[in-house]
Amino acid sequence: MALINLTSIQPTGYTVLDDGAVPGEGENVAIGVDRLLHEGDAFFATAGSVGVIIDTETPFAKLTQIVEKIGFAIVDFPAFADGRGFSLAVRLRKDFGFKGEIRATGPVIPDQALFLLRAGFDTVETTDARKPAFEAALERFPAFYQTDFGGQLSVAHARHTQGGQITEEQRLSRKAPERQREAS
Amino acid sequence: MYAYDTYDHAMVNARVAEFRDQVERRVKGELTEDEFKPLRLMNGLYLQLHAYMLRVAIPYGTLSANQMRTLAHIARKYDKGYSHFTTRQNVQFNWPKLSETPDILQELADVEMHAIQTSGNCIRNVTTDQFAGATADEVADPRPYAELIRQWSTFHPEFSFLPRKFKIAITGAKQDRAAVKWHDIGLVVKENAAGDIGFEVLAGGGMGRTPLIAKPMRDFLPVEDLLSYLEAMLRVYNEQGRRDNKYKARIKILVDAMGIEEYTRQVEAEWEKIRHIPIDVPAAEVARIKSFFAPPPLAVLADEVPDVDDLAQKNFIFKSWLANNTGSHKVPGYVNVTISLKPHGGIPGDASDEQMDLVADLADSYSQSEIRVSHEQNLILPHVARRDLPALWSKLDAAGLGSPNAGLLTDIIACPGLDYCALANTRSIPIAQSITERFDDLKRLMDIGPLKIKISGCINSCGHHHAGHIGILGVDRKGTENYQLLLGGSGAEDASKAEILGPGLDEHGIVDAIEKVVAVYLGEREDGEEFLSAYRRLGADIFKEAVYGTH
Amino acid sequence: MAKKITGPQLIIANRLDDGRAVFLTIAGDWSPEVANAAVAHCEDELQHLLAVAQASEIANHVVSVTAVAADLSGETPSPAHIKFAMQARGPSVRTDLGYQVSPNWEQ
Repeated sequence: MALINLTSIQPTGYTVLDDGAVPGEGENVAIGVDRLLHEGDAFFATAGSVGVIIDTETPFAKLTQIVEKIGFAIVDFPAFADGRGFSLAVRLRKDFGFKGEIRATGPVIPDQALFLLRAGFDTVETTDARKPAFEAALERFPAFYQTDFGGQLSVAHARHTQGGQITEEQRLSRKAPERQREAS
Repeated sequence: MYAYDTYDHAMVNARVAEFRDQVERRVKGELTEDEFKPLRLMNGLYLQLHAYMLRVAIPYGTLSANQMRTLAHIARKYDKGYSHFTTRQNVQFNWPKLSETPDILQELADVEMHAIQTSGNCIRNVTTDQFAGATADEVADPRPYAELIRQWSTFHPEFSFLPRKFKIAITGAKQDRAAVKWHDIGLVVKENAAGDIGFEVLAGGGMGRTPLIAKPMRDFLPVEDLLSYLEAMLRVYNEQGRRDNKYKARIKILVDAMGIEEYTRQVEAEWEKIRHIPIDVPAAEVARIKSFFAPPPLAVLADEVPDVDDLAQKNFIFKSWLANNTGSHKVPGYVNVTISLKPHGGIPGDASDEQMDLVADLADSYSQSEIRVSHEQNLILPHVARRDLPALWSKLDAAGLGSPNAGLLTDIIACPGLDYCALANTRSIPIAQSITERFDDLKRLMDIGPLKIKISGCINSCGHHHAGHIGILGVDRKGTENYQLLLGGSGAEDASKAEILGPGLDEHGIVDAIEKVVAVYLGEREDGEEFLSAYRRLGADIFKEAVYGTH
Repeated sequence: MAKKITGPQLIIANRLDDGRAVFLTIAGDWSPEVANAAVAHCEDELQHLLAVAQASEIANHVVSVTAVAADLSGETPSPAHIKFAMQARGPSVRTDLGYQVSPNWEQ
């Protein structure tokens, strides 16, 4: 497995916890949405950073209950064409101001690299064979028509902004490019 | 017309480079067909029955004379000397080689064209009134807003992998020539009491197996809110549209299942959260785009032109062409001209490279170098001085482009059907040809008056049969071609769904049936009553009796 | 003993580079002429032809390999279903180009 880093974030090392297994002291772990909602204080006191594995069937309304509990999120695509994963990342950033790492897993394709970055993803787990194509795809396009969650200004705004820089006012609730997060 | 700046150029050039790399990887075997197929589809490249087919976008159906010349050049150099204009205001090439498609895309990029998002489950080419900016019955030119939507929807990070394809249409005229109610989203440009421009918003229309007419969501959406509202509409659809069954994945099914009220409620709730985020572009950007669509500098001319009237007196064909193929322009002394791509016995929507070159030259000479493509598969010269009509018509006529049948029974929409398309069940084009051969008397056609026949070779409805005054749907009946007859559809502001009249017919029977339907209309019509109105008044039974003669 | 199949079959595909419809021949290569198509009369023959065709697909010579029912009532075999028969003949509305002009038509 290869990890593609889209945003130069410090990626989280973690263990996917089996059903019933408990985290070690300070261990970074990832669990599903249902389990996350059932775990009590003791679980979070023991574990290090806790991540949630979100499948694309998860309605965004459920994110309200989980976002306070997590340090990172993993959106698991069942197929590359399941575009709900992009909206889940957008919701995490936009509706909940989530600043932790968002990772994509599943059969996403290299040609989606910039789409993932712009929807708010930080990292992608993929096969070793796909790594070069992912890295090439990240370099492909110089600009886009949408202001995105990586902090890149839309072409429409750049055309009318001094030096092509986004202003604070324009950015508003969009995430800053130099988004801070806890290292793990 | 919109002109690319360095950003627009950089994006389409990057796209060509990306596709060139993908094609090389495919040819070398680094990509399998399963991996490559979605990538080529995102660039409009299909594999059809006999060859690849490249669908090139003509944003909102507007193109320049130079762009048309490039299409002619591509037809000549990379194809078999012709191309096909589609019901989505796009153009298709039927015989490109895989290894040459990156070169074709580069030639297109050099004249500010592309094939981006002409396939796949993304937001497709925004379509509009073919007479936009050149018609007397218009509130405002819808194309600046179509261009805004084109840019916003191109490579959208969140909405490029939707449950299914997504089609937006916009019209600025009272008479709806863009069939907005048959689209996933329909927009109608309006002006409020204060003189501000906004949009009536409709959602959930579509054809296919489950034809549904779009329902109204909002009566007036201000321009500055357009993109954030669309973003909210798409987000709710992307999250909740069905992905378990491709035949139930369009937004029409979601809207129908949850109800337009609930869909609207969810969209408005989301829009309230996002409308202040800078999705909508600065006012200066709207002004910049609008400036490209400023009305052309046309000197006002006299509407009365004796030469035109004289020729019309002497020549019935010219007189008919004048009546059917020209329409009122905003500027006195000018008309918009429809160049029919429906010659007698011809293939609806096809044009040869010579014809495309000629249309480009005529656009330079007579129409401010501008051309349009209509969803009815014709070409338009939008800004023609009335005094130039005799010269223009004689040049068109000499090239087989002077058919005076715009809006008449032989102005038939037909999908490519089984002659080209891998999805089709039956052929469509030969049916259209047989109908034009049966109705080959211009006086008779003029007497019949406005009548829209629309033919699809399968249930996907590319030939818009649900919206035909007379619709024809091809079905596979145990390996033979069979055609269902539908009556009473409309794609206009009075949109309605055509209903199946009775059992399917073979390729001869369907043409006979149309003749019988027309005979009923001619026998029963009241003074000045058009076919569709007569059908609505009379009901289906009298037509059914004529076609199927049950006693 | 060879298992029965529903009827004689032939193998159709599209060439990778130009997408042209081609038929698998007895020699194991691809011909644009349906007259040269190999016909499978039993399951074993069909599996053999499919194996050859799929190897060619994996080698990136063709795509969209499909076994289709053959009509043997004429002098030469042809696909029975209209869709595949169209692939063998070319567009019926443009008999001035493509396969109708010459089976060995090239650009």
